[in-house]
Amino acid sequence: MAVKVCFSQLSSCWGCHQSLLNAHLGLLDVLPALEIVYWPTVVDFKLASLEARENGEVDVGFIEGLVRTKQDLELTKLTREKCKIIIAFGTCACYGSVPGLANQWSIEEVQNRKFMEVESATTKRIPDQHVPGFVDKVVNVDDIIKVDAYLSGCPPRTEQIVGAVQFLLGQKGFPMNEKTFCEDCVLKESNCLLDKGILCYGPVTSIGCSLKCPNKGDPCVGCMGPAKNTSEKVQKLLDMTKSLDYISSGDKKNLFEFLSLFLNIPLMAGFDLSSDILKQIKKRGKPDTPITNMPSITTEIATNLLAFLAKHPEFHEISNVCQTCPRIVGKGTMTKVKRDYEGLPNQEDCFIEQGYICVGPITKAGCGGLCIKVNATCTGCYGQTEWVTDQATRFYKTIKESFNVDLSKEEFFTQVKDPIGTFNKFTLASNRDFN
Amino acid sequence: MVKEIIVEPITRLEGHGGLRIVIGDDGKVKDAQFNVTSTRFFEKFCEGRYCEHVPRITTRICGICPIPHHLTPTKAVEDAWNVPIPTPALKLRKLLINAKQYSSHLLHFYALAAPDFLVGPFADPALRNIVYVINKMPDVGAMALKMMDFGQKLCAEVGGKSVHPIAAIVGGMKKPMDEDARQKFLKMVPEQVEFTKKTVDIALKVIEDYWEVIANVGVVPTYYLGMTNKGVHDIYEGDIRVVAPDGKKMDYDVHKYLDVIGEHVPAHSYATHTYYKPAGYPDGIYRTNCLAMTNCADKMATPLADEALKAMKAKIGTDPIHHTFAYHWARIIETVEAIEVIAGLLEDSDICNPDCKTLDIEPKEAEGIGITEAPRGILLYHIWSDADGICKKLNLLVATNHNIAGIEKSLMHVAKQVFEDKVLDGLKLPDPWIK
Ligand code: SF4
Ligand code: SF4
Ligand code: SF4
Ligand code: SF4
Ligand SMILES: [Fe+2]
Repeated sequence: MAVKVCFSQLSSCWGCHQSLLNAHLGLLDVLPALEIVYWPTVVDFKLASLEARENGEVDVGFIEGLVRTKQDLELTKLTREKCKIIIAFGTCACYGSVPGLANQWSIEEVQNRKFMEVESATTKRIPDQHVPGFVDKVVNVDDIIKVDAYLSGCPPRTEQIVGAVQFLLGQKGFPMNEKTFCEDCVLKESNCLLDKGILCYGPVTSIGCSLKCPNKGDPCVGCMGPAKNTSEKVQKLLDMTKSLDYISSGDKKNLFEFLSLFLNIPLMAGFDLSSDILKQIKKRGKPDTPITNMPSITTEIATNLLAFLAKHPEFHEISNVCQTCPRIVGKGTMTKVKRDYEGLPNQEDCFIEQGYICVGPITKAGCGGLCIKVNATCTGCYGQTEWVTDQATRFYKTIKESFNVDLSKEEFFTQVKDPIGTFNKFTLASNRDFN
Repeated sequence: MVKEIIVEPITRLEGHGGLRIVIGDDGKVKDAQFNVTSTRFFEKFCEGRYCEHVPRITTRICGICPIPHHLTPTKAVEDAWNVPIPTPALKLRKLLINAKQYSSHLLHFYALAAPDFLVGPFADPALRNIVYVINKMPDVGAMALKMMDFGQKLCAEVGGKSVHPIAAIVGGMKKPMDEDARQKFLKMVPEQVEFTKKTVDIALKVIEDYWEVIANVGVVPTYYLGMTNKGVHDIYEGDIRVVAPDGKKMDYDVHKYLDVIGEHVPAHSYATHTYYKPAGYPDGIYRTNCLAMTNCADKMATPLADEALKAMKAKIGTDPIHHTFAYHWARIIETVEAIEVIAGLLEDSDICNPDCKTLDIEPKEAEGIGITEAPRGILLYHIWSDADGICKKLNLLVATNHNIAGIEKSLMHVAKQVFEDKVLDGLKLPDPWIK
């Protein structure tokens, strides 16, 4: 059965969609499996057709853009109502992207520049007829609704989006069988893995897979998704998830897979979700469980796993752009902060050690270092690896520790004339100091 | 009773908006509005940024045509600081903007316009889209996808990213093209030229089929705004040219744009309406992009395109051409020029010359202006720099501003034709290619 998908566009540039469309021939593989129920610009459906859908009828909703107008606010809520899973699609939806920089000013100042002050304006007024009006500050989609997955990047790379779509396709049509995998397991009578202290997710997973991992002695990692019930072994699993602090590395790897396969938290499918779970926890005090309507004990187990994740950032630490960058670190030294128009950096050495500011060290990996390949510095379009408000200080500390930098904090910051644009270019809407 | 016809959102068009046609009790069309319902205030939040980083921010204005939004502010800063660029950089920029022109025009033709022509404008909306065209005409679909793919890949190669490029920098380009890449793309050129010829044939057939529509619906005399390089069609270098409804051509230095272009802020749209200032508003409403460009140009820059332009002028028989549906034809003529320019530049090994950036650059307190022709119309950036090279102020005129008023004017005209004169009733429409 085709997966019902909706693409909602808030205030945005359409670049995330363009990035998806750039798959061109690759689209032919995924499109037949999708039933597109709403996709302005590509398909001729009007908003009323989305409004007419049942709540929760649509499987996946991609939201592109940021909340700038009151109409964006309404469309965000409507999309959440109609969709089972919401993906914040692109940096605008995840963190506000560059339009979040407007949060430095009040909405009145911002409107006045555009409608009243610009040099070419002849009639001057703030438009107010048949237009929705603006919200005071740019907010992120997850300030308004629950978001299930974050796909950052401005725009996310084509491969990442297609990967994510394929991943979701693999996930959909969960059988949600009454019975659990344990019923099918060769180890259920004796040698149950749980009894050996190995985390096995069979007790909460739907029956019906063909791989049957426990046949080979490996635990079930939940790829069939949740079952409607749980097996009698579930209590043991629950108990184990309550005290995960001493789990083995094998268990950790399986936990990782379970989170991505069972809970639709695709840590390994290009979604780069992990830090955002922490963000959710920071915001709401507990992680959101991406799949609802599970048996309560299954939800409890999932919650325990996410709490473990929250406590152990080192376990899922996302790599930064530097880790995907081929440039050599350790040859030069930053003795002065250079601007990008100055000279021309060589293509072998790290920008920082040539004096240029590259925010790769505090930016999430995912792009594969696209800018660096054409000799341009990273300006942070995938969002930051950690959510602290003072990214500038974090940047300075990081480069002081890991690169040759011969500048005191004071010298450094007097030379950086635009700290907001340099360290928060894509994420100011997520910065609590500005909203 | 007054009747309002509202079409929302406008699909297959970048940006956010709805059309509103108001019809009075007498059956007369009272008003035709294009309500643009979102804006993100780039004019404001670029204030305080490094001038050389403005081109890394403004790309996010449009995901379909980010390349002109990268190059035009770069030109504006170079104008302000009086920075020359080396010839290899100029060639690389022309290659980049033509690669964009090529893919964007083909996207427009095949994904946005062709579904109406090939499936029929009144077919079921669920079928009137590129996906259906691909399924029903796989040869044409695959060819269209390969063409867009070529353009986008070339953009990514030269610009670093096809959506939101980063390779241009004040003073030139960050990196020349690699010789291997040049050879790779050069090998693809013959096939692309073949495809372009086939596309011309499809377009000509569509024109034959829809001749009655082209000749009778939406023939609206307006001004046209474009750019030429001393009369020759050019999308990167040149000055402003305006064509009056009667065909008179007027040239203006870009630095005089405030005398030429006014911005009317309507009450019903966040996109302002630009107009030709000497004629006032609304008389000075003009149209832009491909048809405006071919109306402005004395000749195209390349031989095949120039032949095609002559053929269009001969067939339609007026100069300027006011036929709204001729936009599709003009777009194909520009596509032909784009592939010819691309082919010529890829032949030239100078694009691999490492002398691609001016090294000594001093910011200064000054203002600068840059223009290019984006796929949907003239793009103009006016930037004010302080002595440190920080952006103090920014004004920009983008394609949407130019097009909206013209669209309203065409819409009013067509609405009258449809609702008052009932022209569609008597109109002979061809059999769709796909049934
Ligand atoms: S995230 Fe970037 S590419 Fe996507 S809509 Fe926003 S600005 Fe455009
Ligand atoms: S918990 Fe795992 S090993 Fe034990 S019976 Fe269930 S599936 Fe088999
Ligand atoms: S700072 Fe930039 S150039 Fe240096 S290693 Fe990190 S990503 Fe690469
Ligand atoms: S290098 Fe940085 S700015 Fe460039 S694409 Fe990657 S994350 Fe974005
Ligand atoms: Fe555009």
